[in-house]
Amino acid sequence: MSSASSATALSDATLRAGIDRSLRHPVMFFLTSGAAWLAVSILLAIIASIKVHCPQFMDDCEYASYGRVFPAHINTLIYGWGFQAGFGVLIWLMARMSHQECRAAGTILTAGHVWNLVVLLGTIGILDGRGTGMPWMEFPAFVWPGLLLCYCAIVVWSFIQFRVRDGERSYVAQWYLLGAMIWFPWVFITANGLLFCASTHPLMAAAINAWFKSALIFLFFIPIAIGTAYYLAPKLTGRPIPSTSLAKLGFWSLAVVAPWAGMQKLAGVPLTGVFLPYLGAAATVLLAVPLAIAVANILRTIYSSEEKLPKSPALHFTLAGLMGLLLLAVAAIALNLPGSSLKLTQFSISGYGFEILALYGCFSFMMFGAVYFIVPRITCREWVSSRLINMHFFFSAYGIVAIAFGALFGGFIQGSAQEAWLQPWETVTDVVRPYAAVSTFAWCVILFSNVFFFLHLAMMWLGRGRPCGAPTLLDSAAEHAAPASH
Amino acid sequence: MSLRPFILGLAASFGLAWLLVVIVPFIMMRNLEPITLTKETDGAAGIFYPKRSGRIINGAKVYAENGCYLCHTQVARPTYAGNDMYRADLAGLAKDPERGDTRRETNAYDFEGETFAQIGLTRMGPDLANVARRFEAAVAAKGGGGDPAAMFYAHLYDPRRNPETRKSTCPSYRFLFTRREIKGQPSNEALPFGGDATTELLPSPDAKALVSYLLAMKKDQPVPAALNFAPPEPKAAAR
Repeated sequence: MSSASSATALSDATLRAGIDRSLRHPVMFFLTSGAAWLAVSILLAIIASIKVHCPQFMDDCEYASYGRVFPAHINTLIYGWGFQAGFGVLIWLMARMSHQECRAAGTILTAGHVWNLVVLLGTIGILDGRGTGMPWMEFPAFVWPGLLLCYCAIVVWSFIQFRVRDGERSYVAQWYLLGAMIWFPWVFITANGLLFCASTHPLMAAAINAWFKSALIFLFFIPIAIGTAYYLAPKLTGRPIPSTSLAKLGFWSLAVVAPWAGMQKLAGVPLTGVFLPYLGAAATVLLAVPLAIAVANILRTIYSSEEKLPKSPALHFTLAGLMGLLLLAVAAIALNLPGSSLKLTQFSISGYGFEILALYGCFSFMMFGAVYFIVPRITCREWVSSRLINMHFFFSAYGIVAIAFGALFGGFIQGSAQEAWLQPWETVTDVVRPYAAVSTFAWCVILFSNVFFFLHLAMMWLGRGRPCGAPTLLDSAAEHAAPASH
Repeated sequence: MSLRPFILGLAASFGLAWLLVVIVPFIMMRNLEPITLTKETDGAAGIFYPKRSGRIINGAKVYAENGCYLCHTQVARPTYAGNDMYRADLAGLAKDPERGDTRRETNAYDFEGETFAQIGLTRMGPDLANVARRFEAAVAAKGGGGDPAAMFYAHLYDPRRNPETRKSTCPSYRFLFTRREIKGQPSNEALPFGGDATTELLPSPDAKALVSYLLAMKKDQPVPAALNFAPPEPKAAAR
């Protein structure tokens, strides 16, 4: 990085401003449309969750049937919110870390619009009863090539930026982002190609689908989340990452272990290799190691600075996301021990709890942190109100804690009831109800929190942010923040 | 770090697992070897032909489109993976009047004719691997006056209509039925309830396909010795 480091601070600032300007529209588009999809997804989650404990709710409406609303909820959460938030953050981080302006904003913006259109069509397809019935791949078959093409058109520029960066230097965050960029198309083409275009044994199709779900979490969403945290932590504290070799170990252990995970959902299913699910279970348990390494390394970065850190919203959300990641590592062990817990959790709601913990408790919190960091820089405006950010943070955190604990713990209760074979089956249905009720309430809280997020983001997008002054911090609302808080 | 070794490292670490966990099993399971029957153990020579009748493809499509797999599984796991073999009538009937104990583990041949095995995500509802056998047994227990298909239609139309399942959380699939005015003779497909003097309730083609698929849920047919993991009879009796 010879040229960049020898350049003056002024030219550095000019470069950063240029990068921010070049990416302003694509990033804001992804973040705002992602936030809108998040709201849609949470609304669908509330409907689906109510139906679990109160099946008469909206019983006459075909399009609100549980079997359609639930897949619509999880698919909009993944492809509507997750991917778009990921795109917005990824293209900005890669441009900043590679010191390259984006020269393809128009293409990215176009692909982003097509992506939204395709996700919309897919969601309508699911609600209209054209879903494929393969978890996380429920969009009708015409959707996946569209998603893949848009993905390539959006992400290839970040890859090129990394390729043409000055010098040989790379950041830990870049490894994770680059890994996610390469793993995802491989996973996506494998799963969709084999399931939609090739024919195999139906059991193997189900196994590939289970592998796809796990790979999407651990080879796309989690790497982006960890990469973002590895970028934000040193930026926010002004301290370097304490151990590069530990970071290297964390990254490569994730790369080696994660592709084996996923098939534990099929334990006891007569696949040709009956050991495959147990291999998947072992890999998922082992995944706790790379996740814990990342958490430890990033936390050490944050807490290594002696002076009291300003309570920035980005740091707040990143810390919460790290807690989510740690909980995810614990849950990966607790849910998947072959011989003890796997048989309890295999067909219980704890699988959903685990996925929501990964997608919302970890990934989304990191993305929120990045949004609170990036948006003021690209809009040249400060966040309007620390109170809105606080509302978003606390309600989101309480909500996800309730869902994660409710579903993870409730899943154990449910699984124990399933295994108690002398009891009638009705007891299994009965023990789930309270946890479903908790989940409904928690999703309502999360929806409430994200209304603030969406409004705040929309204000920034429309240029209604505070034009100048100090950044909006959470602990000094009275001095700095906005007219709105007075 | 330069890009080339990085990508090679990723390709090696991911590619190995990808090959061994996805691609090789995919190819191995593409065409399962047919099981040859032998005279001594199976009582007949030839090749094992698992039988499944019903509209499997159409029914599985309706099953998938309406998300039944979210709450119902279709697998009786071996005892090392769970207690499915013990739960009453999950893996077959413990006391079938003709065949005795028909319980067995689900095998790969039970999914014949489907493109995607709906193993299922959760068991919010009961396992369906042998639901048709349970419904048949329920009909037989009532003295044979009934039809398993009619029980399925009634459950799909309103899962909480039957007092025995009034606490069910299953969604009702009323949109799979149509109400029609009776012209002349009432249809023999009409449901025994829900109609009045002038109208009757008919299952749609989707409902018929789904029920046909569910009626094929009898994953307890006899299997050749090579697939039979039940403990040998005399030992079971001695215990």
